[in-house]
Amino acid sequence: MTLTASLTRVMPPGAVAADRESGAWAWLGAVPEAVVRPRSTAEVASVLSWASAQGMGVVPVGSGRHALADRVDAPFVVLSTERMTGIQAYEPADLTFTALAGTTLRELDGVLAAHAQWIPVDPPRRPERTLGGLAAAGLSGPLWMGYGEIRNHVLGMTLVRGDGQVLRLGGGVVKNVAGFDLLKPVVGSRGTLGVVTSVCMRTFPVPATDRVLALRAERTSALVPAARAVCTAPVLPVSVVLLAPAPPRAAGAALVVRLHGAADTVAADQASLEEHAGVSFDRVEPTRADALLAAVRDHGAQAPVVLRMSVLPSRLSEALAAIEAVGGPGGEGTPLVHVDAYAGRVRVGLPAKGTDVAGIAASLRATAETLGGALGVERRPAGLPLDGAATAPSDDERALGLGLRRVFDPEGVLWHRHR
Amino acid sequence: MTQPLPTSLVRALSDAVGPSHVITDPNRLLVYESDGLTAYRLRPRAVVLPATTEEVAEVVRLLHAEEVPVVPRGAGTGLSGGALSLGGGVIVGTARMSRILDIDVENRLARVQPGVINARLTEAARPHGLYYAPDPSSQSTCTLGGNVAENSGGPHCLKYGVTSRYVTGLRVVLAGGRLAWLGGAGREVDGALDLTGLFVGSEGCFGIATEIELRLLPVAQGVRTLLGIFDTMEAAGHAVTAIIGSGLMPAAVEIVDAATIRAVEASVFAAGYPPDAAAALVIEFDGTEAGLDADADRAEACCRAAGARDVRRAQEEAQRAALWKGRKKAFGAMGRIAPDLLVQDATVPRTKLPEVLAHITEIGARYDLEIANVFHAGDGNLHPNILFDRQDADELARVESASREIMRLCVDAGGTITGEHGVGIDKRGYMTLVHGPDELATMAAVKAVLDPRGLFNPGKMLPDPEEVAV
Repeated sequence: MTLTASLTRVMPPGAVAADRESGAWAWLGAVPEAVVRPRSTAEVASVLSWASAQGMGVVPVGSGRHALADRVDAPFVVLSTERMTGIQAYEPADLTFTALAGTTLRELDGVLAAHAQWIPVDPPRRPERTLGGLAAAGLSGPLWMGYGEIRNHVLGMTLVRGDGQVLRLGGGVVKNVAGFDLLKPVVGSRGTLGVVTSVCMRTFPVPATDRVLALRAERTSALVPAARAVCTAPVLPVSVVLLAPAPPRAAGAALVVRLHGAADTVAADQASLEEHAGVSFDRVEPTRADALLAAVRDHGAQAPVVLRMSVLPSRLSEALAAIEAVGGPGGEGTPLVHVDAYAGRVRVGLPAKGTDVAGIAASLRATAETLGGALGVERRPAGLPLDGAATAPSDDERALGLGLRRVFDPEGVLWHRHR
Repeated sequence: MTQPLPTSLVRALSDAVGPSHVITDPNRLLVYESDGLTAYRLRPRAVVLPATTEEVAEVVRLLHAEEVPVVPRGAGTGLSGGALSLGGGVIVGTARMSRILDIDVENRLARVQPGVINARLTEAARPHGLYYAPDPSSQSTCTLGGNVAENSGGPHCLKYGVTSRYVTGLRVVLAGGRLAWLGGAGREVDGALDLTGLFVGSEGCFGIATEIELRLLPVAQGVRTLLGIFDTMEAAGHAVTAIIGSGLMPAAVEIVDAATIRAVEASVFAAGYPPDAAAALVIEFDGTEAGLDADADRAEACCRAAGARDVRRAQEEAQRAALWKGRKKAFGAMGRIAPDLLVQDATVPRTKLPEVLAHITEIGARYDLEIANVFHAGDGNLHPNILFDRQDADELARVESASREIMRLCVDAGGTITGEHGVGIDKRGYMTLVHGPDELATMAAVKAVLDPRGLFNPGKMLPDPEEVAV
């Protein structure tokens, strides 16, 4: 009996598929033995118990469309939570809900909107993200500036450890200090500590006004002073993003600032920001704002190679100068740049061909580390490993992280991480 | 009191931090026999007060080499007995580590030593237009290191979130005196887990934070404070639900109940609340001046629609302080009507508040105990305060039974056993109400990763294995 045949025996009919040809998993650098689509926490637990007993690797995915830079070397199965959908509990008056991990934000948004609520996160390709994927990836997007990071919004979750043990972490209330906060290391762990099968999160009221302001210039460097001024102003916008080449015409650079609140409040906030920064913003028409915001959110994230540079916000001009230098003066190789100015986080989208990606990564990594920051690799094509391109965790981070992984995944099946 | 420390160890500790900063005199140790939870008292073997990260590391190294547990302590204002010295532990206090190391205005970050008083950071940041958001009631005395250990909240965390939202990086001394950096703003590393977030709220069981990097926020342009007076607690609860449901985002929503109002008005802290009122609701909005009056108008309308007898409004600091007085002085006022006060802490979903409060009243009546409620109504965080006399053994036993019933009630309502005071020694026995054996075993295994020999704050947070029924 083959390994996957033995998996079929522990799962209901139709849950295990051989997907050796589609190419959907090419980014993993190897072909999975099977793709498993469980429908319940118990089924996820069965897959992981089976994998731990067999020594089979498991790569957990949500929608499976957001290729990461991680790779797998040994035999593995893909575990997709896409069939685990649905909102299990939603109490609008408590501003909390619980939903299965495969529920997409598009589905969730529809339900929350009926009660004028939402979850204030804006990672790339937001609508198709799954809640489990969002939590596992720890993605907040630039809206963290106004609302806090997703690690603060996740109140509880069901997590299946690598060995199949089911844990209920956190709870359903916004303030909870009963025990060590195991949610924090799980959020952002990208499936290395377990498979998230349900999530409890807090919601927020939809703001009365969502005002979008824009400022344009030839180059990003010309907008950095205004971006910095907005980020140090006495009023706090909900996000400040700098990008180039800027939508809608993919030309020049733009600074896009969002203000949330009552109409009077955002009008006064705009005036304060303009006075503080010494600029005059264009107010984006509400009818065009959604399309622009979607373009801003996704900018550069689907490029063949996506690097992430993080520095303190005060060092952004140096980081951006380094990126402009590697990109050259426009043309094919021009990087797509998306800057969360309050975080000091720069997404750099690069073409895979005709560009010395490894050389650019090495140069940006050196710059980032000189500035006290780090370089990460968020996406890369199948044939371009980019091993060692990212800033490595410190010895402490590595040792403690490994210790935690051994607790949550004793057999090391998740991503084959610590074998 | 347990065995004194060996003379050689006292000498080595004195060499590390200076002889005047190693306390072994039983009289001087008396101060350290409890924290804010005075029901538990135990005199430590010794107290060591290092001044630098390196001194903390050396002290921990010396103590752990002799298998002596280390009990970290900030200002000792904790309410769950977390700084109680168990297992022959030596208290390592951060009182001398009270320097604000840096205020980075451009990046809105502060770097502090753990012994800095919470309110002092805001004082230091305010000239730059910045402040530190988490504001526990004890903020004029509690330390930021203690806040990190307890993941402290406060009235304004309804809008701004608790301590963990603001901690971006930590320098920590781990078991055996090993130094490590966790996190740090502006440096996102692939594959690194959020160890900073894990460390926050670990109640001194993982190590000692010796440097803390914190986010600061711009000071709000304006504030509006409202006080609603209600004839029934139910009506006050409806007002809170209406305010939150209307999409408003108040900075704070606090309620004091009839028993608390009576205690406050009978004390020197009298705040002018009608003594026959059933509930007083304090609502605060902050932010851009332009929108505040409209927010306050809407909140006032919610209160009146819910049947408020009176709604008062403050615009100036002095008026604001007067409206807050009854809430802020509640604990002090209660201290005057009973010898002892147990400040309980639990969280329930906000919509369950009215029924849970009715049950708490019933529990109080059944055990013949006076229970006065003060709570962060916006986020469902209850503080039922039980008034008692510790000399009365029978009453003490009833307090314990009532506390356990209240905890179970809150858990059954979908809540938890502590929202902001921590587990410490006080709530260890209740951990099995909210966590199963697998969750507790995983927590214990995580603790063992950071502290393999169990030498940081033993006897806290996790119940003994035999208490965990499978």
